[in-house]
Amino acid sequence: MNFFEVLRAEAKLIFSDIAIVLTIIGGVILYSFLYPQPYANESVSSLPVTVVDLDKSDISRDIIFKLNATPQINVVREDLSQKDALEALERTLVKAVIIIPVHFKRDLILMQTPTIALGADSSYFLIYGAVLEGAMRAVLTESAQIKVVNLLKNQMPLSGASLAYTPYSINAINLFNKENSYTQYVVPAVFILILQQTLLIGMGILGGGVNERCKKGECLHYKNTSIFYIFLARLIIFGTLFFIHILFYFGFIYENFDITHIAGSLELLSFSLLFLTAVIAFGLFLGSLLSSREIATPLVLFSSLPLVFSVGFVWPVEAIPPFIHFIAYFVPSTPAIEGFLHLNQMGATLDTLSTQTLILLLQTLLYTCLAYIIERRKKSEKFYDIIT
Amino acid sequence: MLQAFNFAFMAEIMEIKNSWYKLFLITLFPLASFALLILIFYKGVATELPIVVVDKDKSDLSRKVLFNINATSTVEIAYRVASEAEAMRLIKASKAYALVSIPSHFKRDIYLQKKPNITLMLNTQYILIGKIIKGALVESIMSSAGEIEYFKSLQETQNSDKSIHSIMPIGLQVTPFFNSYKNYFLFLISALLPSIWQIFIVIATIVSFGTLFKRGEEKQFFAGEFITMKIIGKLFPYTLAFMLLGVLFLFFIYGTLGWIFQGSWAIMLFTLFLTILAYQSVALLFFVTGFDYARSLSLGAVYTAPAFAFLGVTFPIESMNHFAIFWRDLLPIAYYMEIQISQANYGANIFLEIDNLLSLTLFLLLIIPVIWRFKKRVAL
Repeated sequence: MNFFEVLRAEAKLIFSDIAIVLTIIGGVILYSFLYPQPYANESVSSLPVTVVDLDKSDISRDIIFKLNATPQINVVREDLSQKDALEALERTLVKAVIIIPVHFKRDLILMQTPTIALGADSSYFLIYGAVLEGAMRAVLTESAQIKVVNLLKNQMPLSGASLAYTPYSINAINLFNKENSYTQYVVPAVFILILQQTLLIGMGILGGGVNERCKKGECLHYKNTSIFYIFLARLIIFGTLFFIHILFYFGFIYENFDITHIAGSLELLSFSLLFLTAVIAFGLFLGSLLSSREIATPLVLFSSLPLVFSVGFVWPVEAIPPFIHFIAYFVPSTPAIEGFLHLNQMGATLDTLSTQTLILLLQTLLYTCLAYIIERRKKSEKFYDIIT
Repeated sequence: MLQAFNFAFMAEIMEIKNSWYKLFLITLFPLASFALLILIFYKGVATELPIVVVDKDKSDLSRKVLFNINATSTVEIAYRVASEAEAMRLIKASKAYALVSIPSHFKRDIYLQKKPNITLMLNTQYILIGKIIKGALVESIMSSAGEIEYFKSLQETQNSDKSIHSIMPIGLQVTPFFNSYKNYFLFLISALLPSIWQIFIVIATIVSFGTLFKRGEEKQFFAGEFITMKIIGKLFPYTLAFMLLGVLFLFFIYGTLGWIFQGSWAIMLFTLFLTILAYQSVALLFFVTGFDYARSLSLGAVYTAPAFAFLGVTFPIESMNHFAIFWRDLLPIAYYMEIQISQANYGANIFLEIDNLLSLTLFLLLIIPVIWRFKKRVAL
């Protein structure tokens, strides 16, 4: 068979298989809309909070005002007792309870450092962190104000006091994902994994199916076609389809869900090509290995959660056992997620990603060679004697 | 009737015995997946996260601030560079997660009471890591400020109580609620393990029926009466296996990690049982769409893979949109998780769990169309 006949035969095999089409087209499109849904109307600002003001002084009033003035906190109710407030917390009407103790103002004047109590729902670190940040900010502002007043009492002029209440201050800047958006945090990384996993399932079903048929003696065009032609045909078919998927994800979907995409298009596309060839090589290897159509889906499925968590964007690489991180580098998604996050989310350039680029190239080489060796061995009758 | 059940049950046991793949689906694969996830998070706390510093002052005070930062267990000063541009390159290459920059004339400005600024730049793309580091840095830097202030004030007042008050007039005491776990990641594990578990239930069910149909032995198997009993008998070995796996991960979470399980084990076991039956019903529903092995696996994959994101463990349910909540309602594991959390955290009595248990039971109704489809298929 010449190359174009192989290409046509492969395309027919792929697109007439409902299980493959369901995954590489249906799955990719469905996931692109489904996955960002939980985070679509996220808001970690204006979180409902209740205050129990047991002091009822001008200063406690001022603190409540300052709490409400932070972007994170919205004081939605005031309770008369701690019990009522905790009940509201339990009924999830509020995310946090803030208690200003009795004699708050008196203790302040007596310089006894009164303490404000904050009880917050810590089930979600984003919400907990935001409430904490808001409360800290309000308390620090009030503290600073009190310190300035004290300095003024000691005859310091206002211009001096407004600087002297603290030796220095901190100016914290969020470099990327400035709004701490959960979508920005999770979706760009998971999308890369989705592209890889659907592609691998598709190629796994195809390869496993071919192996299965060959075992039964229905080897179609595989027996007397050059392995190189088959590999090239699959590279072209899956490569083209998933290149379109990548354009759809990085273009349409990112735009639609307001996900940052600051990479230069040339760099993004070249890194995408590297990623795709590595995954396709891995898919060829997987396909050559599997003994039936049905093994690919479970295998790829089980690996998804461990793979996503061993990359290091959720849980720091430094805290993951090194051997797990090392093994994860044998799968294209690991260097690819690192690379895409740096390019598209953090604005790095391709030249800083030499490690990731090198790993993807090595994977392409390794898996293509392995797949080739396995396919070669299958061609010799001996191999079939061994496995059957 | 019981005979039909026995026949199907024993036949499936033999199948599992003779197929390493089916055996691994209920033993090695789920156990290895559990182990992998546990290992990833086992350390529980992040320590010595690398940061970069730029010290343009190089005074004793700036060194003191940096020394205190390095003394925290959370971060470690991995790089000291001369300019912010250089530091940014390290951050963009993920060699460092944050930059602490101390301006020139830092010490002089403190003594002149000009309130110099220490700049923090944080990689908040990795939200959680960013938050951990920001918390540690701000705390360390502010306590250094407190120290400096305290000694300055002590020289004037000679009264330590008064000095403390002058630094921090108001205290803030923080109590976290509803997450009595030792740390956030053990909490994450308690939802990750059930999420993996539900994938295996669906896959094992489809594999069991898929191989039967693929070999073309379905007519022979379902010959005679009692199709329903045979279906249940065929499923039952897996029901038992996943009960065991469920008990195993619950025991791991609440037994070995030292969290106190406040609820009733009887309710929990019953919930595990119902959840397995619910997923087996859903898996069979996928299968009867076309009695096609590979295609029903694809459906099962699409259905089970993203479940974790919809549980509301990492992200609150109240903030999800209608579609996300709708999708979540279609996942048995969502009801399961609510029961697991309420049982573990405050040992709710069975009447408070009725809603979730009923919802799980509703999934069992799917077995009606499934049986109808099976009967039609086998009769052909």
